[in-house]
Amino acid sequence: MTAAAAELRVDGVTVRFAGLTALDEVSFTVAPGSIHALIGPNGAGKSTCFNVLSGVYRATEGSVHYDGRELTGLAPHRIAGIGVARTFQNIVLTAGTVADNLMLGRHGLTTAGFASTALRLPKAVREQRRHRERAYEIADFLGIAAHFEQPVGPLSYGDRKRVEIARALCMEPRLLLLDEPVAGMNPTERLAMAATIAAVRAELGISILIVEHDMGMVMRLADAVTVLDFGRRIADGTPESVQRDPAVIAAYLGQQQEQQKEESA
Amino acid sequence: MTKFAETVLNGLALGSVYALIALGFVVIFKASGVMNFAHGSILLLGGWTVTATHQAVGFPLAVLCGALAAGAAAGLLHALAARGLRGAEAPVLTILTIGVDLLLVTALNARIGPDFLSTGDPWGDAVARFGGVAVTQSRLAGIVVSVLLIGGVFALFRWSRWGLSMRAAAADQEAAALMGIRLHRVRLAAWCLAGALAAVAAVFLAAFPAPGLDRTTGQIALAAFPAAILGGMDSAVGALAGSLVIGLSSALAAGYQEQLSGLGTGLADVAPYLVMVLVLLVRPNGLFGSKELSRV
Amino acid sequence: MSEISKRAVAGVGVLVLLALPFYATGFWLQSGLFAMAAVIGAIGLSLLTGTTGQLSLGHAFFLAVGAYGYVWLSGPAGAADGLTGLGLPPLLAFGLAVALTGLAGGLLSPIAGRLRGMYLGVATLALVFIGQHVMLNAHTVTGGYNGRSVPPMDLFGFALADASPQGLLVLGVPFGGLERLWYFGLALVALALLTARNLLRGRPGRALGAVRDSEVAAAVMGVPVARYRSAAFVVSCLYAGAGGALLALVFRRVVPETFGLVLSIDYLAMIVIGGLGSVGGAAAAAVLVTLLPQVLTGYADDLPLLARAGSGAAGPTPGEAARYLYGAAIVLVLTLAPQGLAGLTRRRPRKTLQEHTP
Repeated sequence: MTAAAAELRVDGVTVRFAGLTALDEVSFTVAPGSIHALIGPNGAGKSTCFNVLSGVYRATEGSVHYDGRELTGLAPHRIAGIGVARTFQNIVLTAGTVADNLMLGRHGLTTAGFASTALRLPKAVREQRRHRERAYEIADFLGIAAHFEQPVGPLSYGDRKRVEIARALCMEPRLLLLDEPVAGMNPTERLAMAATIAAVRAELGISILIVEHDMGMVMRLADAVTVLDFGRRIADGTPESVQRDPAVIAAYLGQQQEQQKEESA
Repeated sequence: MTKFAETVLNGLALGSVYALIALGFVVIFKASGVMNFAHGSILLLGGWTVTATHQAVGFPLAVLCGALAAGAAAGLLHALAARGLRGAEAPVLTILTIGVDLLLVTALNARIGPDFLSTGDPWGDAVARFGGVAVTQSRLAGIVVSVLLIGGVFALFRWSRWGLSMRAAAADQEAAALMGIRLHRVRLAAWCLAGALAAVAAVFLAAFPAPGLDRTTGQIALAAFPAAILGGMDSAVGALAGSLVIGLSSALAAGYQEQLSGLGTGLADVAPYLVMVLVLLVRPNGLFGSKELSRV
Repeated sequence: MSEISKRAVAGVGVLVLLALPFYATGFWLQSGLFAMAAVIGAIGLSLLTGTTGQLSLGHAFFLAVGAYGYVWLSGPAGAADGLTGLGLPPLLAFGLAVALTGLAGGLLSPIAGRLRGMYLGVATLALVFIGQHVMLNAHTVTGGYNGRSVPPMDLFGFALADASPQGLLVLGVPFGGLERLWYFGLALVALALLTARNLLRGRPGRALGAVRDSEVAAAVMGVPVARYRSAAFVVSCLYAGAGGALLALVFRRVVPETFGLVLSIDYLAMIVIGGLGSVGGAAAAAVLVTLLPQVLTGYADDLPLLARAGSGAAGPTPGEAARYLYGAAIVLVLTLAPQGLAGLTRRRPRKTLQEHTP
């Protein structure tokens, strides 16, 4: 199995695109084995932050350290190799079955190359079988084992979200980044997903950084919360302290008023 | 020295004609994200229309007919791609243009046959002299017309409503759609414009010293693809620079072929492609391409 | 079709293919061998363009590397006509020609790894023209415009050429070189199909599919995108090399004209008609696209609307007619039935293009 969870330290990360500042000197720390929420109104920079952590974007300034290793500047597949896995806000699955997707998550843990796969060498066959068993266990853990051999296309939205999380878990990560795991779900599905996330932490002992809009869920699940607004960190602390923070209330009230305006317009 | 000056002038002339093709290629790419591999056959269609109509209506009107025919064909291709493949990825659309190219080229080759067709252009084989430097009038005309047309296209980009919509659509399609820009019309206009530019290029590719329009004219036009790639595909200015690089390297390879005989005969035809491969080995995004092309 | 009936059909198909040399004429054996070479090449392009999403118009170039590579490696050294060669045993030369083609693809890996999709399409267009230039000018290796003749395949002292001195008879049927080459080709096709299927069902195939479907997701899952793109390119070159070398053996003379842009587009037509991403579909379409012009030529007199090539009569020649048909097929398949031939054997339409069809 993989090494124990470690600390993620984000230090003064700034991201600029063509003059626009998407993240402005954002710092926070995710304690080992904790569930840490990253919240904020739309456009606050949460997804940009995820993209920096997973290596999809490069930070203009600042640094990200995981387990003492500098992540900024590393290619995404190297960051994956260190044990950082993520899901996407809009589900990004590849064609094929659930099993195909989960096995993609095992890519970094397996070694079969082109030649040994093409010739079906016993080593490659054994490796595939062994990892498939583990992938099935993970599918079972997330309640999608019944769909294991089915194509992902026709699955329900909630199930596809679960496939994405299962695929990330198949990487046996030490840090899991979840981008809006319950967006678009009904209340029952939300509760089930919250229970799943809590179970992932309890059983695997990994750290989870979660971007979420559902405040109820954030307050129930998270050990710590970081709040972003317009690319800046405006609050950081326990769910209770953040909930009472005047800056956070102002940011969220502002957004609610805007939403009401939009709805009445 | 005279020879060098003549070669450079020839290169500039060739480059300016390539620029007409490459610019159209880039305009289509910016508007639709599609690499139009049918551009060569659309060019051939435009050129063939000129050869078929010039005796009846005279050269200037024939060029207009050619531009209209090629523009219409490009517009039809856009409509086919946009309607048949709603939401399909750009690479699939790109392959579709290859299929259309195959159809169009086969049909045109059957019409053109093995002959060289005249476009009825007024320059013939007349040569202009500047001091000791000789250059054919058709090439001078090619430079002048290309510069005027390209200037016109850039002015359209800069100041017209269509140009504004084009730039907005190229920057962010969803935002442009939200702003009420009718993407379909903007794109249609881009394809038609590119087709018309290609037809004009066909006239100059077929003019002296070429013996006329023939089956291979469309293939010669393929050399504009490297020009667009060199420039970075999404940069109109880059396409112009790439065209000049391609035109000059082709002309130099032709002008100094005795000195370059170690590299084999017919080097001028492959020079554009060699230059492209060498540049791409060093700079995969082309000379002016945006970095985003190879993000991640 | 159920799994059992599918297997039954495949079994009967294999038996027919094995028995064919006892019944078919030389013309059909030769056409069949052309189709086999095309099947192998098309599988390679399918892995690159269908599975990985990387467009290549340079496939003809790599077929040429395989063809000329075999001829040069096995050709006699120091012949009177000024042609060079290494004079290697044919089977060794065949294997080395495949490796040489892979190496040629590997040299381009800075381009193949970093350019994506259509960009690679234009870059590889260059290879066709540069290849033509080299074939026409490197006389001592290629024989220039007129090309050079191909040394026959020879397996353990058995010549796989047309003129068989021993006059071997099997079950009363004269077993010449063409018949023997048929089995060599069949073995190659089987190997190509099996290896491609294994690749797609294993770790590399999943990584390549992910690179096509989402570059970002693939990278985040730990797939080094550029390396897998280059690898897909090299693998497709290996198949092209084998297809090209077999093509040379069937033609018995290689000339530059064969390996032009038109050939690249033929291969693209094959994988589109077969259904992008389907190896089985690409193989079936390769047979169709290769045999169609042959059939049209063979029966030009009996078919309506067709004119014989060079007869001057109205109507398209068989070659033109074939071209119209592929062009129309590409357009129709992409606009109406994106799964191509692969879609025919499936009960339920799927949302995605990638398929693991046997």
